[in-house]
Amino acid sequence: MTRKPAAVKGSATLLFLVFLVATCASFMALKAKTDTIQRKKVPGSSIIYIPSGKFLRYATFGYSTLAADLIYLWAIQYYSTPTIDDRFNYLDHIFAIISDLDPTYIDPYETGALIATAEARDITLAFKILDNGIAKNPGQWLLPFEAGHIAMMNLKDYELAKQYFEKCMDLPGAPEFTRRLYANALYRKGDIETAWQTWLDIYNTAPDERTKKIASNHLYQVKTAMDTGRLAEAVKKFEEGYGRLPAELGDLVRVRILKDLPKDLDGQDYIYDPETGNVKAATSPWKR
Amino acid sequence: MKIGAIAGITFKEAKRDRILYLLFFFAAVGIIASRILAILTVGDRVKIIKDVGLASISIFGVLMAVLIGTSLVYKEIDKKTIFTLLSKPLHRAQFILGKFLGLVLTLFVMTVGMSLIFLVLVYLHTFRVEWTMLVAIAYIFLELVLITAVAILFSSFSTPILSSIFSLAFYLIGHLSWGLELLIKKMKAGTGRVVAQFLYVFLPDLENFNFKTEVVHNLPIPAGIFLYSLLYGLFYTAFILALAILIFRRRDFI
Repeated sequence: MTRKPAAVKGSATLLFLVFLVATCASFMALKAKTDTIQRKKVPGSSIIYIPSGKFLRYATFGYSTLAADLIYLWAIQYYSTPTIDDRFNYLDHIFAIISDLDPTYIDPYETGALIATAEARDITLAFKILDNGIAKNPGQWLLPFEAGHIAMMNLKDYELAKQYFEKCMDLPGAPEFTRRLYANALYRKGDIETAWQTWLDIYNTAPDERTKKIASNHLYQVKTAMDTGRLAEAVKKFEEGYGRLPAELGDLVRVRILKDLPKDLDGQDYIYDPETGNVKAATSPWKR
Repeated sequence: MKIGAIAGITFKEAKRDRILYLLFFFAAVGIIASRILAILTVGDRVKIIKDVGLASISIFGVLMAVLIGTSLVYKEIDKKTIFTLLSKPLHRAQFILGKFLGLVLTLFVMTVGMSLIFLVLVYLHTFRVEWTMLVAIAYIFLELVLITAVAILFSSFSTPILSSIFSLAFYLIGHLSWGLELLIKKMKAGTGRVVAQFLYVFLPDLENFNFKTEVVHNLPIPAGIFLYSLLYGLFYTAFILALAILIFRRRDFI
């Protein structure tokens, strides 16, 4: 083969470089163009084929915790992209995979439950994710704490909240205020006697003045509930017997329905409305 | 003419490669095994057959392109046959293009073979020829053409093992580059974002050749995407081949 002069070789190289730039510019422009064309998607198609974590675990060749990290990182981005309308369809599946790959990774349970509650509005799923985490990490206080919080704030199921807080407060590392949340759940579900005993115990063992004050306010609230309940019952009995509401609470003692009139925790009388028969405390527990 | 001759020799050489038949065998097993997988499902069995069948054609096609493509140029250098070839009035670009076209022809024959098995299997379940499957297969083939060019590019300056790793990395990047789009949306304006945007349009987007979901679910495909994806594939392949030629031209074999 005859050798080509340097000038010919140089211009050929230049031609190749021009061709390279031209093809590069073309495919980049075409990439931008294809991005503008909307293609139909099958709901959840981007994640539907991710296999179960149990199988994926074997496919990660010992790097299952790394795979869990990567899927978790991806999931955070995926679920925080509001343009993906169907992103919540396989929320359960994704967080189950992470859990299978790394059962002791606590953050995904917490985040998954948060997404399920706040974004997907699927409280049942939030409990499913947290219960899975609790089953796999029985020594972790955070998960029953989160579950109790969701039961109390979102579901308003105080019995369920009580169960989770009870589970949480016995675990090492659980914040001391969990006991207060437990007592509050007891009060809200209507177990006034146990709530009183629990708040009294919290008051007596309070490590600081602030906690003592909080417990005292709650004791005020619980006592008010107990007393107003008793008074309302007595007012009803009076009405049944005399065909009218009592003019004042003292009437209940005069006709011997009550032995004496209860006072609130601060020693103040309860306020009675003779028009409606309603009884209430003189002050709010939180403004004492 | 010279390109055609080299392509012919490359085709003959590739068809003597045992690994080609081994991969074809596994692809056929994969396609036929989709029938067994379909038994395990509840609901639409044909969907599983189509999914697994198309995936087998795609995955084994890529393995053929990578494993054969990465050793094509290297073998000539290793066995010193390149000296005989380049001592003839043959431009190095003709050599690269001949090798490329020879392997593309091999892959075409293999893709036709795998597709026939797949279409027959689908026909045995639906009793009709599903022509829409050919759309997905055609674009799988276009993807294979691009992967072949990439394998030859790496083969022109690296060892087969490294070339295989690089080519498979290219394939993975090509199917995951959409992740950059998510990243760009979350990045603040600045140099990092500009770099990410450049990478997003520069890195291969092999999802442009992925019509598997649409054909399996009978979803409408926008007409424009066919042409733009085809052109995208052709321009990207041309770019990679030009790069391979440029690198190969500068290599000194003495």
